Amino acid sequence: MSDWRRIDIDAFDPDSRLTAEDLIPSYDRQITLEELQPKMQQLRTLSSGGDTRNAIHLITQDPPYSADDNTKDLYFQVVLETLCQVRQVDIANIVKELNTEQQVVLVKYLYKGMSLPEGQKQGGILLAWFEKLTQSNGITPIVHYLSDRRNV
Amino acid sequence: MSQSLRPYLTAVRHSLEAALTLSNFSSQEVERHNRPEIEVPIQSAELLLQPMHISRNEHEQVLIEPSVNSVRVNIMVKQADEIEQILVHKFTRFLEQRAEAFYILRRVPIKGYSISFLITNKHTESMKNGKLIDFIIEFMEEVDKEISEMKLFLNARARFVAEEYLSEFVY
Amino acid sequence: MDKAVVSIFKLIKAPIYSHCLSQDKSLLAITCENKCLIYKINPASKTPQLVATLDNHDKTVTAVDISIHGRIVTCSQDRNAYVWEPLSDGTYRPTLVLLRINRAATCVSWAPNGYKFAVGSSARIIAVCYYEQENNWWVSKHIKKPIKSTINSLSWHYNGVLLASGGTDGFMRIFSGFIKGLDSKEIMANSPWGSKFPFGTLVREQYCGGAYIHDVQWRSNVEKVAFVTHDGTLNILDYQGTLQSVNSPDGLPYKSLLWVNDHEILCAGYNCHPTMFSESSQGWKFSRDYDKVAVSNILKDSSNNLNTNPSNQQFNNSLNNDNVNDDENPTFGISALKKFKELDLKGKVSLEQKEGAHENTIVGLIPFVESNGQITQVSSCGLDGKVVIYNI
Repeated sequence: MSDWRRIDIDAFDPDSRLTAEDLIPSYDRQITLEELQPKMQQLRTLSSGGDTRNAIHLITQDPPYSADDNTKDLYFQVVLETLCQVRQVDIANIVKELNTEQQVVLVKYLYKGMSLPEGQKQGGILLAWFEKLTQSNGITPIVHYLSDRRNV
Repeated sequence: MSQSLRPYLTAVRHSLEAALTLSNFSSQEVERHNRPEIEVPIQSAELLLQPMHISRNEHEQVLIEPSVNSVRVNIMVKQADEIEQILVHKFTRFLEQRAEAFYILRRVPIKGYSISFLITNKHTESMKNGKLIDFIIEFMEEVDKEISEMKLFLNARARFVAEEYLSEFVY
Repeated sequence: MDKAVVSIFKLIKAPIYSHCLSQDKSLLAITCENKCLIYKINPASKTPQLVATLDNHDKTVTAVDISIHGRIVTCSQDRNAYVWEPLSDGTYRPTLVLLRINRAATCVSWAPNGYKFAVGSSARIIAVCYYEQENNWWVSKHIKKPIKSTINSLSWHYNGVLLASGGTDGFMRIFSGFIKGLDSKEIMANSPWGSKFPFGTLVREQYCGGAYIHDVQWRSNVEKVAFVTHDGTLNILDYQGTLQSVNSPDGLPYKSLLWVNDHEILCAGYNCHPTMFSESSQGWKFSRDYDKVAVSNILKDSSNNLNTNPSNQQFNNSLNNDNVNDDENPTFGISALKKFKELDLKGKVSLEQKEGAHENTIVGLIPFVESNGQITQVSSCGLDGKVVIYNI
């Protein structure tokens, strides 16, 4: 082997360094798409029925951290739809009702939304959410987001 | 300043405030080294924090990648047409060749972005966080203005040149 | 200046990562790049006087501590630690410590009895060091498992056996640092933390979300340990395993904490001023800020720049309308004039900004004046090269 100098020998040491997987807390079990379907259905009903306040509360409670990436993406489509359904004037009031835990979940969805093409099309709405969130809570949720290893 | 630029810049500002919480951190991998962990290819995952993606639309985005001792800020500048693409390229190239004068400017932007900044704990120790953030926000404000100004100027000049040239053929 | 600020010592033009005081509060040691500077605090003349420079390290000195006997220990990113023995002529004699670590040493702490100290490192090791008479060396024993990442902070229980540690892997761990021959088993007889403490035992492990732990401190007489994490929280753990967390009011994480008494903790960090938390029957919560002028002002100014203020927004809109006109018939003279006006305005804003005592992150808090278990004055050091004394 000619490039033996470049071999990363530390990778062969089992407890040398932490990998991204090590950081994510282990979940008892993985939540599946089927189990999420009723929640997604409920979200659609709530947001199409105009009850956006409860829809947002539902989104920010108990997010499917343990689901696989594909399921998370499908679920996120519903979340994004719901976020976009909320009228601009209602955003500030809804944000004020969320507790710290829920705010962090919301920030996760906002950053995720802005990293995906479908969310970027709605950049203005997501930014409006972001603005209202930081206006009422400062940067606390963002600082929590930075160190939180659980992805939505 | 248009209506949606303001929340965009506010979001970037708040994200930077949260991200610019850096420590002096000596490498865990290499003896007696102290390097920006965000730039190191193989590394311990815990030293990187969650990336923050802020986008106004498909063409204007900022990606903030924080780590324990450094933050990389990548900006995608609006490029509506080919002229703007050329102008942005020339403009950022001009700045990057003089990167040492800007301290926090990265010489090469990361893939997909127009310009990147690298802020390390050395910078936050010698400069005020508030001013660093102001600089980046101001840069983002100015760069759009600068590009559209250059474009107008270029168009005016092109029209003038074309007129001069074509007038040769008028008898 | 806030009235809580007693004095400000601008000592060096480099970040101070750690500082500490001698037992009688007459000597102040700070880290400065690859040196450690020793100052004499003279109540008569206000500014501390430089009396010694300890410069055996060849990389950044990360921490310094003084034992009750006056021995100074410094550790550095060059992987070494030195114990500096004070000599009668005011100089110090260094002894290299056999740390046996191959990465940076990040923090150091003398045990309360002054016969051993612990060094945290980026090598995922805590080295507990003690003096070996027969070899005339400071030797070390290692605690390795189950540390996964760099150790940021260490704190000894008053009994000198329990050692709390925190680091970038997000675990607060309590180990036993029991050294045979130095520590007696009797002192641990009625400890609520366990019954057997052989060296290196993991006594307790606390995970809280994986955020970096910046500082850990024991409060021995109430058997509690407090730590601050990178997600901007202060956490207090007791021996029963109850964990209480409280958020920093302005969101920014803390780098340092100090127990003022059994029910009050002072924290300081990236917001550049100390914040007090207190315990009541409802648990821990934010009680007050000290010297907060700077932060509120900076925030206000920055929001002005951003036009969240409606009046300003209007003002800027009008400016921008002008801009549009300018673009239509470019008159460079006027736009240049406006640029200067803007610069002028910005310059003024920054001049008007009031500064707090610290202009950059506070990284260390230590007691300065203490009476009956109550700290009345604390000293803090920051990345701005200042040491500030606050009245609490």
